[in-house]
Amino acid sequence: MNDRSFMEERPNPQEKDRMRQILIVEDEFVNRELLKAYLEDSYKLLFAETGKEALKAVRAHADTLSLVLLDLNLPDLHGLDILREIKQDTDLSRIPVIVLTGDTESEVESLNTGASDFISKPYPRVEVIMARIRRSIELSENRDLIRGTELDQLTGLYNREYFYRYAEKYDLYHREEDTDALVVDINHFRLINERYGKAYADVVLRQLGAGLLAAVKESGGIVCRREADTFQVYCPHREDYETFAEDISAAAGEGLKGRIRTRVGVYSRADKSIDMERRFDHAKSAADTIRNSFSASVAVYDDALHEKEVYAERLLDDFQEALAQKQFIVFFQPKYDIRPETPVICGAEALVRWKHPELGMISPGVFIPLFENNGLIRDLDNYVWCEAAAQIRRWKDTLGHAVPVSVNVSRIDMLDPELTDTLRNLVEENCLEYADLHLEITESAYTQDSEQIIQVVSGLRALGFRIEMDDFGSGYSSLNMISTLPIDALKLDMLFIRTAFSENGNIRMLEISLDISRCLSVPMIAEGVETEEQMLALKKMGCDIVQGYYFSKPVPAEEFERFLTQN
Amino acid sequence: MLNIDALRAWGADVDEALVRCLNNESFYLMLVQKSVKDPNFDRLPEAVAAGDLDKAFEAAHALKGVMANLALAPICKPVQEITELLRSRAATDYAPLLSEIRSQRESLLQLF
Repeated sequence: MNDRSFMEERPNPQEKDRMRQILIVEDEFVNRELLKAYLEDSYKLLFAETGKEALKAVRAHADTLSLVLLDLNLPDLHGLDILREIKQDTDLSRIPVIVLTGDTESEVESLNTGASDFISKPYPRVEVIMARIRRSIELSENRDLIRGTELDQLTGLYNREYFYRYAEKYDLYHREEDTDALVVDINHFRLINERYGKAYADVVLRQLGAGLLAAVKESGGIVCRREADTFQVYCPHREDYETFAEDISAAAGEGLKGRIRTRVGVYSRADKSIDMERRFDHAKSAADTIRNSFSASVAVYDDALHEKEVYAERLLDDFQEALAQKQFIVFFQPKYDIRPETPVICGAEALVRWKHPELGMISPGVFIPLFENNGLIRDLDNYVWCEAAAQIRRWKDTLGHAVPVSVNVSRIDMLDPELTDTLRNLVEENCLEYADLHLEITESAYTQDSEQIIQVVSGLRALGFRIEMDDFGSGYSSLNMISTLPIDALKLDMLFIRTAFSENGNIRMLEISLDISRCLSVPMIAEGVETEEQMLALKKMGCDIVQGYYFSKPVPAEEFERFLTQN
Repeated sequence: MLNIDALRAWGADVDEALVRCLNNESFYLMLVQKSVKDPNFDRLPEAVAAGDLDKAFEAAHALKGVMANLALAPICKPVQEITELLRSRAATDYAPLLSEIRSQRESLLQLF
């Protein structure tokens, strides 16, 4: 090796190593110089000669240090104390430390205290030192990568995917134990976010995470952040979740203005034969049942909830087949213009019923919310539109005339870029007038994503479709906004009718709504009118059109024909 | 003027030390000259005289590491011995070893 210069003998510095930073903690000049000679071409080096300097440097470079080379024999502090300090500090513990020592005893103690490796004195061959350094850095970087994907950045808890894996492992070691699956949500978290800002909300999330960890610390169990403000806990079975909920709510809101309330869904003594994810779906269903409750903070997944879920699942499973087999039947409920002396039929609303071959007639109150939750409502709406349009055509053909039929257009339909084309095709294919179809759009659809929706509705209206605002009075739209909306009729929320005509009824809201319709110069349609008395009262107040059991319940198309021929 | 041959003749394991110094002779010689001025050479006898064996152990231990890295065997040997005695805080007469360390250091200094 004499004919080669010592520069060539050095380890070939990898380009990426150049960026890595190593802190050398060594008070002996000779040792420091040797290490410097070995490493300076490959790494960015920092030096500290005392323990205090070392800790200061580690803290100052906590984010960029790739490694610490730590001599145990320092003038002020013992190296092991420095090692302990680094390993116990959550901000520093990720940094690997290689201990420099001449004693076998210290080697063992160092490794037990958290050192990644050791380098003995006298120093071994430079290749050995370099290899050990590289390996320690690589191992720690790989571990950081794994941790980065396992852990939720904000709370430091497991993320959802890894949580399930750890939960499976948990089961392996607790086979005989009853275990509970919990889902924890923060009540009105969106409002907290809006009112106090993201930084505040983040503190709440972090504190809740820490609170949950503390709550299961004694009994054992694991915790994760499922998403947004939803956390999951898998822990040994316990009974008193009311106290649990109080404790974690207190922890989440500690030191903050405003009270934080959580809701806990419990799937108690989880059935270990079902999928881990399903167990937490059960807990989530339980938590969702108290979403809007002001008093309850704990809900347990029980048989009733289970039945309801099984039923809902059945309906979802059967949906496509039901569509294909035309199990959905469109009924029509007449609308009467009550302004003339004798009320005159002026339209109908198309309403869907499900005639299930095994479950019988299913109320739309059961299946519509279900389909609204997962987008199937689009297919169903489409189906109803087609059926209604075809029926209008048939009436026109057989009776020579028909009445305008209103169909529901859900909020999610409005987001479909092809909505306008679909509806236009429907009219053209059936050779109808645009005015033959009225579109019922709920008031709440206007208040969310209002700009886009107003644009779509304006386009449909420009084509000639008539727009009825459904459930008016339930959507909190501002008067200012309503005056600018493209609508042809207001359809009063059924609740107003019920309240107005109940005992001690308050008709004030009804009167105000009617004032608004007059002000906008659009007719007011009242739904859910059941008695003559109600009809007459509405007429007196100035309501234009009435729909409800007083005139007729929703009926099949054939039966509806009698209303058309009567005219 | 200190040189490699003189160090070898004095008893240093020059070949071992040079490997550790990346075969850079002048680097090695520079480190040897620095190491002879290591303050622990003074701290060790002072601490022993004061009866502070903890401090004496630390000084000896530090010296041992440096001498071993530079393969300065004639000093390294007595330093190692005294380090082991001090590790167990042995109540023994440290004078012969201290004197051996002092005289070896002086003989090394004469090569400069």
